[in-house]
Amino acid sequence: MKKLLVFLVIALIASSLLFSVDYPRKAVSVICPWGAGGGTDRVARYVADELSKALGQPFTVVNRTGGGGAVGHSAGVYAAPDGYTITLVTLEIANMHWLGLTTITYDDFDYIAQFNEDAAGVIVKADAPWNTVHELLADIKANPNKFFFSGSSAASIWDLARIGMFSEAGVPVDSVTWIPTTGAAPSIIELLGGHVDVITCSIAEAASQLDSGQLKALAVMSDERLQRFPNVPTLKEQGINWSAGTWRGISVPKNTPTDVKAILEAEVLKIANSEAFKEFMDINGFGIKIRNGVEFYEFAKQQDSAWKSVLELGGFIQ
Amino acid sequence: MDIILSILSPDVIFPVLFAMTFGIFVGGLPGLTATMAVALIIPISYYMSPLAGLGMVLGVSFTSIFSGDIPATFLRIPGTPASGAATLDGFELAKKGKGSLALTLDLFCSAIGGLIGILLLILIAPPLANFALQFTNFEYFWLGLFGLSMSAVLSKGNMMKGLTSAVLGLAISTIGIDITTGYPRFTFGNIELMDGIGFIPAMIGLFGISEVLKRVQQGAAKLQLPPITEKVKISPIEALKIIWKEKMTLIKAAFVGTFIGALPGAGADIAAWVAYGVEKKTSKNSEDFGTGNIKGVIAPTSANNAALGGTWIPALVFGVPGDTITAIVLGAMLMYGLKPGPLIFTESRELVNGVFGIAVLANILMIPIGYLGIKAFAQVLKLKTSVVLTGVVLFSMIGSYAIRNSYFDIYVMLAFGFIGYIMERLAVPLAPMILGIILGPMVEDNLRVGLIKTGGSMNQFFTRPISLVLFLLILLVFLGGPTVGLLKKAFKSKKS
Repeated sequence: MKKLLVFLVIALIASSLLFSVDYPRKAVSVICPWGAGGGTDRVARYVADELSKALGQPFTVVNRTGGGGAVGHSAGVYAAPDGYTITLVTLEIANMHWLGLTTITYDDFDYIAQFNEDAAGVIVKADAPWNTVHELLADIKANPNKFFFSGSSAASIWDLARIGMFSEAGVPVDSVTWIPTTGAAPSIIELLGGHVDVITCSIAEAASQLDSGQLKALAVMSDERLQRFPNVPTLKEQGINWSAGTWRGISVPKNTPTDVKAILEAEVLKIANSEAFKEFMDINGFGIKIRNGVEFYEFAKQQDSAWKSVLELGGFIQ
Repeated sequence: MDIILSILSPDVIFPVLFAMTFGIFVGGLPGLTATMAVALIIPISYYMSPLAGLGMVLGVSFTSIFSGDIPATFLRIPGTPASGAATLDGFELAKKGKGSLALTLDLFCSAIGGLIGILLLILIAPPLANFALQFTNFEYFWLGLFGLSMSAVLSKGNMMKGLTSAVLGLAISTIGIDITTGYPRFTFGNIELMDGIGFIPAMIGLFGISEVLKRVQQGAAKLQLPPITEKVKISPIEALKIIWKEKMTLIKAAFVGTFIGALPGAGADIAAWVAYGVEKKTSKNSEDFGTGNIKGVIAPTSANNAALGGTWIPALVFGVPGDTITAIVLGAMLMYGLKPGPLIFTESRELVNGVFGIAVLANILMIPIGYLGIKAFAQVLKLKTSVVLTGVVLFSMIGSYAIRNSYFDIYVMLAFGFIGYIMERLAVPLAPMILGIILGPMVEDNLRVGLIKTGGSMNQFFTRPISLVLFLLILLVFLGGPTVGLLKKAFKSKKS
């Protein structure tokens, strides 16, 4: 009798191992390619905390920074495809390799889900003479090489957002000077000090200065107006067919088991659709954009070719 | 009165005290920076009220910047980047058995310097922030160059060797992605090098590991750490008496520190070096610097803690970060539903006053907490020297790894340990190399971006008023030095 019981128990355990994935059985690392304390890191930690609660194993954030995101994304790609290393993937995966900064591409990841998109804004000082993006662009056309634009380093996403807008609006891309800085924050300082005329960077990053009336946004490069900035018109509604911004989501190395991906996708989508997540993103000024694994992969693919053509326009690649 | 009561309520004061103790611990470990201490405390602070949470951040940043000086003084390993300059005279004093004296002075000056920084923040934040906003590439270029010219000041006697060291540092600083073009330089396809050589691993290696190597090479008999002689321990009153005598050094350094902190492009590390250089330059007996002059302890430590108050100026007034710590703080403020920027003074006046109050209190509380930190660290030094040195190597490795979870940085740290060892054997000073690494990007990027703005003309580097003043200051440093040197030579030859 006792033997039979033992046998039954063993059989039961064995069958559960065979027929259902038992994931996660140990701690999971969440690679964040950006530094502790920054915006991406805050999102990574929030999602990791929620995943820990939902799946009963610790999800720990590991900041692997450097190379403008190349180090972290590479670490994510080359991790074992067992679901115990997942990556908070950001837009850089779609443009770094075109610049020759890394050999990995969007296609080296399997995509779980996207939960964020932050559109670029066209931002000027509150007392600037322009009130619409068309006034600004007309002024640029009339006075080539007079104005300074900034937002981040050369060939960064915010430089490319500007180039794409110019090209769609029929303004020569080299009719303004791009002032390279180390990121959005120093660009905002340059703009506040009157050392540059316009910045194109994530509108969320300039939220405090926009709210306090030091700066004003002429346009936002999203498909629809943002809830957070309802008075800022999109480029599209002003007849310029261009949208650009940064985005974030979760990905895993290629060849991760389908069952594991399904578990992660279901949980990440559940988190992304929750009220608490919406509140968290609102407080931090981040936009929400949810795509499931298949849609996210298609989006990454589309972004990859979109940024390639903008990089060519800017003369960064041939 | 309400403010005082709310600060002293147990749900504020205890978290702040906890954070301050934590800061002593993190700052004292080489490689674990003040920024990291703040990043670690932030998740805990979210469970607190905004006042307690921001108080924790302030407390942890003040104590960790101070306690970075503890290993810098005892072991010549800067605990945080802001403690680089503390390795110069502090360590020399420790070698003479006066480590406790140096650190007691250090602690009081950190607290007083921190207080001056906070008072300047409270009193003149808006005008100072507006002044700092006028700085752009042209001014930052001269400021960086001014900092670099300090390497002349920091090279004891041998200008050629000092220059070699600084130029090597500059060359190292060119590694990585160039922000003006977006292309990587000297990375040889290694993505770990794309952000350049990590400044913190380089510094830990140059100062810490090279010191360990030196002791090991000296052989077992001499394998000894500076003795901690209880005799030179001083009472707080005596410490304050010494500081009173050197009050001008402290005040000058604190003003320099606050101002540099308020510039969005420079922080506590640059503040400490510039304050040291300025003090040495303006001191009558500048020859003593680097041999254990207490002014060389007081100036950098007052400046780096004052810089913390300074970095909050652009953060509160404009909502833009002054350094990596305030970048994290701004994120935390959003989580508390606060809007950093000019509105914060009207919308959340009470909270701002509370934060100011905590900042003042934290600087006072730092004295007893820091004192315990010094005592605890001194216990470590009573262990066998071989054990301590092994611990130094171990923590240097952990610290280098922890910055961005990278094994590569451990190799960088070890490589710089050997470089530092060889340089010291050849009597090439280390400090100018550190200055080159920190200030290289500041000088290069601002020169090139400045030239992009002017279309290639150098005019604006001289015609903008602040640029011109900074340029003239540098001239003074360059021409002032040789003149003093000549006079000294003349004086000496007369004597003999």
